[in-house]
Amino acid sequence: MKMIEVHSLTKKFGDFYSIQNVNLEIEKGEVFGFLGPNGAGKSTTIRHLMGFLQATEGHCSIKGLDCRQSTATIQKFVGYLPGEIAFIDKMTGKQFIRFIAQLRGLNDLKRADELIEYFELNATGLIKKMSKGMKQKIGLVCAFMHDPEIVILDEPTSGLDPLMQTKFIEFILAEKQKGTTILMSSHMIEEVEKTCDRVAIINAGKIVATEKVADLKKRKSKKYMIEFQNESELSRFMDESYVAEQLSPTKAIIIVQGEIQVMLQTLAHYHIVDLDIISQSLEDIFMHYYETGGQES
Amino acid sequence: MNITLLKHEFLASIKLFSIIIAVLMLYIISIVYMYNPEMSNTLNQLTESMPELMAAFGMSNFGDTIIEFLSTYLYGFLLLILPLVFVIMLSNKLIIGYIDNGSMGYIITTPNTRLKIVVTQAFFLIISLFALLSITTTVTVIFCELLFPNELNIAAFITLNFGLFLLHFAISGFCFLISCSSKDLKTSYAYCVGIPIMFYLIEALSNLGGALEKLQYVTIFSLFDPQKLIAQDTLALWMLLSLFIIGAVCYTLAVRIFVKRDLYL
Repeated sequence: MKMIEVHSLTKKFGDFYSIQNVNLEIEKGEVFGFLGPNGAGKSTTIRHLMGFLQATEGHCSIKGLDCRQSTATIQKFVGYLPGEIAFIDKMTGKQFIRFIAQLRGLNDLKRADELIEYFELNATGLIKKMSKGMKQKIGLVCAFMHDPEIVILDEPTSGLDPLMQTKFIEFILAEKQKGTTILMSSHMIEEVEKTCDRVAIINAGKIVATEKVADLKKRKSKKYMIEFQNESELSRFMDESYVAEQLSPTKAIIIVQGEIQVMLQTLAHYHIVDLDIISQSLEDIFMHYYETGGQES
Repeated sequence: MNITLLKHEFLASIKLFSIIIAVLMLYIISIVYMYNPEMSNTLNQLTESMPELMAAFGMSNFGDTIIEFLSTYLYGFLLLILPLVFVIMLSNKLIIGYIDNGSMGYIITTPNTRLKIVVTQAFFLIISLFALLSITTTVTVIFCELLFPNELNIAAFITLNFGLFLLHFAISGFCFLISCSSKDLKTSYAYCVGIPIMFYLIEALSNLGGALEKLQYVTIFSLFDPQKLIAQDTLALWMLLSLFIIGAVCYTLAVRIFVKRDLYL
């Protein structure tokens, strides 16, 4: 049985499709990334999974239970981190965590304390006065404190500093080891690359592609910004069979797909002042999918 | 019903509750204190000197007994408006407040059905309102007995307050319905404040009498008639029943809407 299933899910607001015919299947123990720009429909899909919204068409289920009908049962083994950081402002972090634990009927706060320690969360102050990152950590504690089998995270690293993001990635990998099924949405390809087994890319309400991360990595083209010693070196290089874009008389960006060994060997013949790797943004990946039309799996 | 949530709401609203109670106490006690069988003559003279203004606030007949004195002085304005403020603030906080600031996302992703949560919140609103009016009633009775032993017709006074409770029960049902069905906190507040205040103003106008008297058929406040309640008129019972039905229908609708609605959390 699939842990999370989404079947031809469509949500329409007036004439506007927020999501259209979204299909997802997530296996047990899988970490599944959900990539897309803001407003693409990631949160809308997740809200359907949490039973917040009534689908116009299609349906979704978690562990075979309908997300709209059996919300309370589903919540017993699901952890959720909302995309919007919002709490009851008048409470302290500790009070809020305890409040949510009690609503869950959870008396053992051992795991919550471990998580507080792991994420270096100082939960004694009023939530109102906390920074965005601190609030996000409270959300993470609430999502994981009952040791859920399935976790759904809507942009989990937003607001976290780079150090904490790394720690979060380690944490997700540890959860993966434990066999937790995780669905996380993101617009940052790095964190998805490091943690996920598979990824779905959504844009304008439609799934553009569902891919294994390993495949994605292979096909991901890399960009290098190279500064040559002089103009003639550059013009000499432009004759090579690379996709290159000239930025200035001595600078060019080249795009390499797959193996970089060949490129390095070629470059060895030139006088180079500087070489910079330009990390590929999500937009570039999208461009790739627009150009190729994507591969439906 | 979820006990944790009830406990949380109790602690979160105790401040508002105490403030409203304190203000009401202050007024009630000073007004009971002001009562003087002879003084009602003076007040009646005042009414005669500016009948329209006094009538607008429901103070047209001060009567001779303490219960009539209290009903005109307290039940025409103060005990209508202050509990209304309490009801508006609490009903908005209980549902749309959590939706608007997003914390409802955490509350409904615990293993509790939406039905359970909304019923808990509705129950809390009703019980708070009941507690508020029970306390004011009890204090008034005790204070009257201390200052003017055996002057107050307690049975009639309790009927009067039961009527007041049903009036606020109906209004709280309306506010709760708005709170459950609104898109955001601002819209909800606009309707929860606007409509009851409009009804109150219509009631005030209809009290002026004449052609305006017909306006009483379009305001919920005329279903609460202190004179008829004190006299324990049968018509008053029908009015109470209507108030109860309005409230019950509103609460039922509110629960249904909250369970079915789309939430963007």
